[in-house]
Amino acid sequence: MSFDTRVTQRPLRVAPTPRIRPEYKRRMRLADTLQVLCFVSVAVSIALFLGDGGAARFSTPADAITSLGVLTGLVGTDLLLVMMLLAARLPAIDRAFGHDSAMALHQSLGKPALYLILAHVVLLITGYSLAGKVTIFAEAWSMITQLPDMLLALAGLGLLILVVVTSLVIVRHRLPYEVWHIVHLLSYAAVLAALPHQLTSGSLLIAGSAQWYYWLALYTGVAGSILVFRFILPVVRSLRARLVVEGVDEVGDGVVSIRLSGRRLRRLKASSGQFFIWRFWTPGLWWQAHPFSLSAAPTGNSLRITVRALGDASAALPGLRRGTRVSFEGPYGLFTDRARTSPRLVLVAAGIGVAPIRSLLETATFLPGHATVILRAHTAEDSYLADELAALCQARGAELRIIAGKRPAGLNTWLPAKAVSARVSLKTLVPQLRESDVYICGPRRWTDEVVRDARSAGLPTRQIHFERFDW
Amino acid sequence: MRHNSLLTPPSPVLPGGSGVAALLVETMGTVVSIRLGATAGDAAALDGGAQPRIPALETRATVEGVFRRWDEQFSLYRPDSELSRVNRGQVRLTQASDTLRVCYALALDWRDRTDGVFTPHRADGAIDLSGVVKSLAIQEAGDLLAARGAGDWSLNAGGDILVSGHQAPGQDWLAAIVDPADRQALLASVPLARPLRAVASSGSAERGEHIWTTVDGGVSPYRQVSVFGRDIVTADVLATTIIAGGEDALNRSTENFEIEVLAVLRDGSLLATPGLRAGPA
Amino acid sequence: MRIRAAASAALASVSVLAIGWMVGAPAAESLQATLASATTATTTPAASTTPAATSATTPSATTPTAGTGEAAQAPAAATAPVAATPAGVTGTFDGSVVQTRFGNVQVSVTIDNGTITEVSALHLTDHDPRSVAISNQAAPILRSEVLTAQSAQVQNVSGATYTTAGYLQSMQAALDAAQF
Repeated sequence: MSFDTRVTQRPLRVAPTPRIRPEYKRRMRLADTLQVLCFVSVAVSIALFLGDGGAARFSTPADAITSLGVLTGLVGTDLLLVMMLLAARLPAIDRAFGHDSAMALHQSLGKPALYLILAHVVLLITGYSLAGKVTIFAEAWSMITQLPDMLLALAGLGLLILVVVTSLVIVRHRLPYEVWHIVHLLSYAAVLAALPHQLTSGSLLIAGSAQWYYWLALYTGVAGSILVFRFILPVVRSLRARLVVEGVDEVGDGVVSIRLSGRRLRRLKASSGQFFIWRFWTPGLWWQAHPFSLSAAPTGNSLRITVRALGDASAALPGLRRGTRVSFEGPYGLFTDRARTSPRLVLVAAGIGVAPIRSLLETATFLPGHATVILRAHTAEDSYLADELAALCQARGAELRIIAGKRPAGLNTWLPAKAVSARVSLKTLVPQLRESDVYICGPRRWTDEVVRDARSAGLPTRQIHFERFDW
Repeated sequence: MRHNSLLTPPSPVLPGGSGVAALLVETMGTVVSIRLGATAGDAAALDGGAQPRIPALETRATVEGVFRRWDEQFSLYRPDSELSRVNRGQVRLTQASDTLRVCYALALDWRDRTDGVFTPHRADGAIDLSGVVKSLAIQEAGDLLAARGAGDWSLNAGGDILVSGHQAPGQDWLAAIVDPADRQALLASVPLARPLRAVASSGSAERGEHIWTTVDGGVSPYRQVSVFGRDIVTADVLATTIIAGGEDALNRSTENFEIEVLAVLRDGSLLATPGLRAGPA
Repeated sequence: MRIRAAASAALASVSVLAIGWMVGAPAAESLQATLASATTATTTPAASTTPAATSATTPSATTPTAGTGEAAQAPAAATAPVAATPAGVTGTFDGSVVQTRFGNVQVSVTIDNGTITEVSALHLTDHDPRSVAISNQAAPILRSEVLTAQSAQVQNVSGATYTTAGYLQSMQAALDAAQF
C-alpha cells in the first residue's frame, strides 16, 4: 500500500507562550501527596499495632505468629480500602493520575491484598492453636462458633475470593462484562462484612480507644467517598444536565457521531480528551454502560461522542432516536491538555482512537507550527473524521500526516511494512520529539507499540499520554 | 433493751469447741459480727514474733468506732449527717469534706465501670452513697485490725463478709450462702482465701417480697446474687449491679472483673461461675 | 514514583512507625514487670483489674492506705508497719501478657513469703470488648454441684442483707453464739 503524507499550510500567527509548567507542578504535588498518603495509611495500620505495645509480643513462637496474623489483617484491610478509594472516582485522583492509572493500580493491588487476608486467617488460627495447645481444626472450629461476628467475616472472605477470582484476566474475558461487574460490586459487601469482627474480636480495636476511632473514621471516610463520588454525584449530575440525543451522524463504516444536548454543561468542567461512562435509556441499551470519549470540545449545552458500533449492544447505537435520555458518569481521564508538560504537541491516533484526538486538537495549547497530528489507517481514505481533523489542522497551524498501510505480519510495530523498512519512527516523523507531549489513542496493542517507540526515543514518562480502547 | 437480747442469741446450732463467741456491733441498721482467728500460724508473716491476742473489747470498740463514724457522716436516715446536709443544699458539694468527695468520686467511678447500672444518684436527684459506705466501713475496719497486728479475722456486716488470714491454722475462713427460699438452708459453703477474700450478696429482703427491679423497669431475673471478689467494695457494688442489671450485667461483670458469682433465679435454679463448682475443677 | 514522592513517603512512614513504637513502649514495658520489682506490698491484694483505686483512701489518718496494682503505696502514717520486709516477698504482682483470641490476658501472681500461692488471669482492658470470655461465665448448675467445702466450720453466712431484727432470726446469729 502507499505511504502517504499530507502536509498542510502553516499560517503565520503569533500567540503567547503557553503556561504549562505551573499546572504540571501543581498536579505533581497532588500526585505526590496522594502517593505519600497511601503509604502512610499502611504505616499507620502497622503503627496501630505498635502503639498497643505490639512490639513486645514476639517473644514466643505462638505470640509471634499471632502478632503477624494481626498485622497482616490490618495491612490487608488497609490495602482493600485503598483499592476501593482508587475505584471510587475521586476527583483528586482523576486530576492527579487519571482514571486509567488509578484502575491499573487497583488491579495490581488485588492479589496482594487477598494474599494478606488469607495469611491473616491462617496465621491467627495457627497462633491461637499454639497458644491454647489445641489442634488447628479444633481452634478454627471454636473460633467460628464462639467468637462474635466470625461467620459474617467468613462470608466476607468467601465473597472476596470470588471477586478476585472472577477478576483474573482469563475468567473476566469469559464472562459478559455486566456479570463480572455485578460480582465485582460484591466486594463492597465483603469489606463491610469483615468490619464487625475487626471491632469485636481481638483486643486491638477496643470500643472507645484511639485505634477504634481511627479505624471507624477510615471506614467512614472510604464509605462516604464511594457513596458520594461513585454513586450520588453521577446521579445528581445526570439529573441536572438532562442530556438527550440530539442527532446521529454517519461518519464511516459502522461509525457514528452522536450529538448530545443538555443544559448548564459547563458545570461538569469537562475537558477535551476526557471520557464519560454513558447509559442510553432505550429498551435495548439501558442495562449497559459504555465508556466513550468526547470527540469534540464540550460546550455549555452540547457534547459529542464518536463511536464504532461493534459487539451485541453497541450495534444499536446508530439507531438511537432523537430525544433519547442519556445518563452518565464522569468526566474522567487525564488524556487532556491539563497533563501537558512541554510546549510542543504530537497527537497519534488509529481507528476510533481519533475521537479524543479530534477533541484535543480543538482546544489544546500550542503555538502554530508546534503540533503534529499522525493518523494511522489501513487506507488513506478510511480514517474517521479525517476531514474535521484536516480543517482543524489548517485552522490551528498543525501538521497532519496520514500513514496508511497494513501492519506487517509477525512484526511488533505500529507502522505499516513500508514505513518499517524505511526506518520510520516517531523520531523521524517529529524532529523535535523531545520537547513534545505525545498523546496516543487507539487499539491496545497498537498503542503499546507507539508508546514503546516513544520511550525508545528517550521520551520520559511524563511526556507520554495514552488511552487504550480495549473494551 | 435491744442490746441485751443481742448479747444472748438463741442456742447454738453447731457444737463448738472452746473459744470465743463472735463480737457483735449493732450499727447502720444491721449487725456486724466480728471473729478473730488463731494467730499463731501467721506469726511468721508479721513481725516475726508471737502476737498477743487483741483484747476482744478493744477490737469491738475499734470496729464500732469505724462504723459509727461512717454512719454519722453518710447515713441518709440521720438528718444531721453530712450527706443529708449536702442533699438538702446546706452544704455545697465543693465544700464538703474530703472523705465525702472521695467517696462520691469512687461511686461515680463505679457508675462508669458498670455502664450506669450502679449509680449514687437517686431518682429525686439526691446523692445516695449507701451502696459503697457499708463496704468502705468494713474495709477500713479491716485495715485497722490489720494495723493493730491482727492477721486472722472475719467481719460480717449484714451479710457482707471480708476476711483476712485463716480461721484456724491451715483452715481458710468459710462463707456460706443462704438459700433465699429457706433461710435455714445453705446453698454453698466457699472458702475465702486469697485472692477472693470478700463476698457480698444482694437479694430480696426478709421482710415482705421486695423484688428488685432492673434499670429498664423490668423485674430482676435474679432473686439473690452473691459475688466473691478481691475486696469488699467490688463484691458489694457488683452484687448490686448484677441484680439490677440482669443477665447482661452478669456477663459483663464476670468478663471484666475477677469474681465468682452464685446467682439464684426467680424459679429457684442456680447459676454459678466455674470456681464455685464442687469437685476437681 | 518520583524521587521526591518516594522520599517523602519513606520519611512519613518511618515517622509514623516510630511514633507508634514509642506510644506502645510503656505498655510493652509493663509486660516485662518481674517479681524483682516487688515492693513491700501490704497483705491486701490489688483491687480488681482496673487501675483506679477502688480501695479508696479512708478518712482516718492513722489508717494505712491499701496499694493498687504493682506499685504499692507506703502507709500514710507509720502507726503500724503492716509488713516490714520479711524473709520472702509477699504481695500480688501482674505478670506477662498473653495474647488469646478473647483479647489480651494478663496473669496476676500472688506470692506469700516467696512462694507462689495463686496465679490468676485478669483481662487487661476495662472497656467492653465484647469478646466473650466463655471460661469465666456463670452457667447453670445443680444444687448438688455447688461447692460445699466441709473442711472447717462455717462461721459466716451471706444472703440478702439482714436488718437488726432480721439478724435475730438468721443463721448468722446462731453461728455467732456458737463458740469455736
